[in-house]
Amino acid sequence: MFTLNFLIRRLTQGVVIIGLVSLLIFTLLRVVPGDPVRLMAGGMAPEALIEKIAKDMGLRDPIIVQFGRYMGSVLQGDLGQSFVRPANGAATGGANFNDTTRGERAKVLTLILEALPMTLQLAAVTLAIALLFSAVVGIAGGLNPSGWPDKLAFYISSVFISLPNFWLGIVLTLLLSVKLGWLPAIGYHGFAYTILPAVVLAVEMSPVLIRTLVGAVSSQMTEPYVSVGRVRGLGRTRIIANHVMRNASVPLLNLLGIQFSSLLGGVIIVEYIFDYPGLGLLTINAVLQRDFPLIQGIAIVTSAIFVVINIIVDLVATTIDPRLDY
Amino acid sequence: MAALLELRNMTVALGRSETAKVILDDVSFSLAPKEIVGVVGASASGKTVLSRAAVNWLEPPLTRRSGTVLFEGRDIYAMKEADMRALRQRVSYVGANPMGALDPTLPVGAQIVEKMRAVMPDVSRRQAEDRVIALLDAVRIPSARNRFHDYPSQFSGGMMQRALIVDALVTNPAVLVADNVTQPLDVTVAAQVIRLIKELTDQFDTAVLFISSSLPMVREASSRTLVIDRGRIVEEQATEALVASPIHPYTRELVAQTPQIWRGAGAVPALPAEREVVLSLRDASQTYRVKKRNGIGGVNLVRAVRNVTFDVRRGDSFAIVGESGCGKSTLMRLLSRLELPSAGQILCEGKDIATLRGRDLLAFRARLQLVLQDPFGSLPPRTSIGRMLEEPLRTHGWRDKEKLRARVLKVMLEVGLAAELYNELPLGLSAGQRQRVNVARALVLEPTILIMDETLSALDQAEQFKLLDLFQALQKEYNLTYIFISHDLAMVRKVCNRVAVMYLGEVFELADNQRLFFDPGHPYTMALLSAMPTLEEKRYKPEDCLLEGEPPSPLSIPAGCSFKSRCPRAMEICNGEQPFLTVRDEQDFAACHLVARTMSPAERASP
Ligand SMILES: Nc1ncnc2c1ncn2[C@@H]1O[C@H](COP(=O)(O)OP(=O)(O)O)[C@@H](O)[C@H]1O
Ligand code: SF4
Ligand SMILES: [Mg+2]
Repeated sequence: MFTLNFLIRRLTQGVVIIGLVSLLIFTLLRVVPGDPVRLMAGGMAPEALIEKIAKDMGLRDPIIVQFGRYMGSVLQGDLGQSFVRPANGAATGGANFNDTTRGERAKVLTLILEALPMTLQLAAVTLAIALLFSAVVGIAGGLNPSGWPDKLAFYISSVFISLPNFWLGIVLTLLLSVKLGWLPAIGYHGFAYTILPAVVLAVEMSPVLIRTLVGAVSSQMTEPYVSVGRVRGLGRTRIIANHVMRNASVPLLNLLGIQFSSLLGGVIIVEYIFDYPGLGLLTINAVLQRDFPLIQGIAIVTSAIFVVINIIVDLVATTIDPRLDY
Repeated sequence: MAALLELRNMTVALGRSETAKVILDDVSFSLAPKEIVGVVGASASGKTVLSRAAVNWLEPPLTRRSGTVLFEGRDIYAMKEADMRALRQRVSYVGANPMGALDPTLPVGAQIVEKMRAVMPDVSRRQAEDRVIALLDAVRIPSARNRFHDYPSQFSGGMMQRALIVDALVTNPAVLVADNVTQPLDVTVAAQVIRLIKELTDQFDTAVLFISSSLPMVREASSRTLVIDRGRIVEEQATEALVASPIHPYTRELVAQTPQIWRGAGAVPALPAEREVVLSLRDASQTYRVKKRNGIGGVNLVRAVRNVTFDVRRGDSFAIVGESGCGKSTLMRLLSRLELPSAGQILCEGKDIATLRGRDLLAFRARLQLVLQDPFGSLPPRTSIGRMLEEPLRTHGWRDKEKLRARVLKVMLEVGLAAELYNELPLGLSAGQRQRVNVARALVLEPTILIMDETLSALDQAEQFKLLDLFQALQKEYNLTYIFISHDLAMVRKVCNRVAVMYLGEVFELADNQRLFFDPGHPYTMALLSAMPTLEEKRYKPEDCLLEGEPPSPLSIPAGCSFKSRCPRAMEICNGEQPFLTVRDEQDFAACHLVARTMSPAERASP
């Protein structure tokens, strides 16, 4: 009952959030300088033709009308078509305005569905590496406050936090890929290509995870139930594994929910550096090409993912700690 | 009989160095099987350290310097860690702070099962669950089978304490060390818990080390009593003998300072009836709306204070007593205008305080001051004491530095704080001194009414005595009116002339001191009196009046008499008809159908 009620409430909120994000992006895209039709049609196209294409595409209607029309088709599962990309592959945007017909343009949904699994795979590997590493370092640090593991955790996170991701990406590529030839780096031709970008992203994520874990574990260790557990006859390992970790995982989960958005920022840069064909790369190209429908579609999909992830995080957190009430 | 548990020359210090402060000094005693031994001492005398030392649970910086503990002749400090853990099946401990003792994220029942199976690996999960449920039932947790699955935060303090007693007894231990277990509980629940410990330990042949800061409480529980003072055992006697003829000067002081309830003349002089009314409640009610957790939206109404009507006259020491959750603190917030009542009125010197604005409101705030419960939490740590006491004066427009200082020093003198403390930070102060700072802070504005919300409950007997004397002197000097909000009936008997007994937001009885303690009109008052630990024979026998369980939730107040679910004398009529405060004498009222019901509604009108 509680869960159902929770889901209904949160999904409703989520739909509102996605709607607002879409409206915001939609409006912004239409007030920024640069006419996409000019880009599509090429610099040589006559002004009258551009006006005609724009009119045909409905780009001269009031924004709210355009938005309504757009959301109407989104609800039917149609995110529209890319302005620039042909259905068969590489981006266009050339000078020949008359050899591109609207029918050949790629569907936004298809483009996103091609890129999304790649990014999800990258995110999953990143999360696995970051969690594993942070758990080892962070828990050890939290169990020995002001001992050497705590100091080590502090130094590691301090160093990691000061490494810019683009720099680290380039250095690791030069070292592990170019010089040592251990891991492939540029493009994507198999799972191994995910590892280097994931490591870079994991390094970016770890410091906050480590610090949160150190803090959560060490503060849980001072809770009375830990000390009382000893006199009740529970062993130290049992207290830590069954109770301290359980309680400490709640702040960690909440952090993951929040970290998701900054991870997304990292993904864009890292995918660009490694030429990794995921959502990040798609986003950058879409922005550079002023591909409004694509940018718009990516915004909707990412905010939907954001909403879903936060719902899952809160749901898991409430199952762990029933006192929480979202 | 051979000793079951024996402490030998136990000395514990605060750290390892030679010069470290000694907390327990050469303590030796023994506990025979099935025996209940009491330990009594003031706060910070070392009781908790003693109980921790007895179960091998000292944690840094506490360090055992010498001595040891033998359990059935085996030295528990010489054991391997694993052996000690196995021994926890036979040596159990319950402490004073039930709320933090279990993991908040797991159900209570599951954690007790976990503990049982950790020290008794041979017990199956099913067996353990059955035993835990049976014991939860035995400690009278209502619908134990469901409660088993509830989380710690869903238990009240009293229920949690009972669950922890189950946790301690579930392995059928030979010794139970109970450190101040009744301290966080209301008298009614404390009495139930003591009775329970006695019953269960009798049933399971468990010996108990019962540690408490209250001599009457120890007397209720134990047959033999040790007195601890500053880390040393200063006296040991059979409990009755100790109370009747204490030998050591400290014990004598302890006995002498325990307030007497029925013996001797009351300490509170009767006041003339016709004095000016300073505070008057007219059907004051407060209802809170709280969001339902599980419904789709929707609110629950919590009726925290219900139709309270009484007058407080100038010079009164007015007590408001009742179990926790009965609405005492809500009433305090209403009286001090921290909240406005949802219905009814509160008049201060004839004016409705809800309508006060601007200057009048400021004057009211100066006239009525609060002294809060927790002296530690309510003082800002980085401000000097003088500055702290000037603060309220500045808020009320005082600017002249000389005058401020003079006024503050005068008040410090009055409450017994040395003038040198003016520039000190409150860090080094004792609990009693901090409480004096709190009182001084209320007094600087020359109020006429002081509300004390559990002001003294954190202090031990001796400090309480001194502060109560101080209050009485101040009252004489300035014709102050006090409102004591308290659950300590012994204190009320000693200082308050008038008492209101509350239950579930209602006033059940309103009477003068003498009448309330000698001839209460309401069964609930009798129950409170019977539950009160004393050193004398009780006027009201627990067998006749003691309550079971705890008050129902203010979310669903029963129809008819709201006390009927616990009342030993409930009758047919109590189900359907709500009793109203009814005059017993000119001054005394009770809300119970047992009180003569022959009066006309007009006579039942406002007390
Ligand atoms: N862990 C500790 N750290 C520092 N001081 C402590 C600690 N435990 C106890 N003490 C000190 O030891 C003295 C006795 O404490 P305690 O046994 O808790 O007293 P009681 O239980 O009688 O109130 C007090 O002065 C207290 O401040
Ligand atoms: S009215 Fe009835 S139930 Fe209520 S206190 Fe009196 S006798 Fe008990
Ligand atoms: Mg103590």
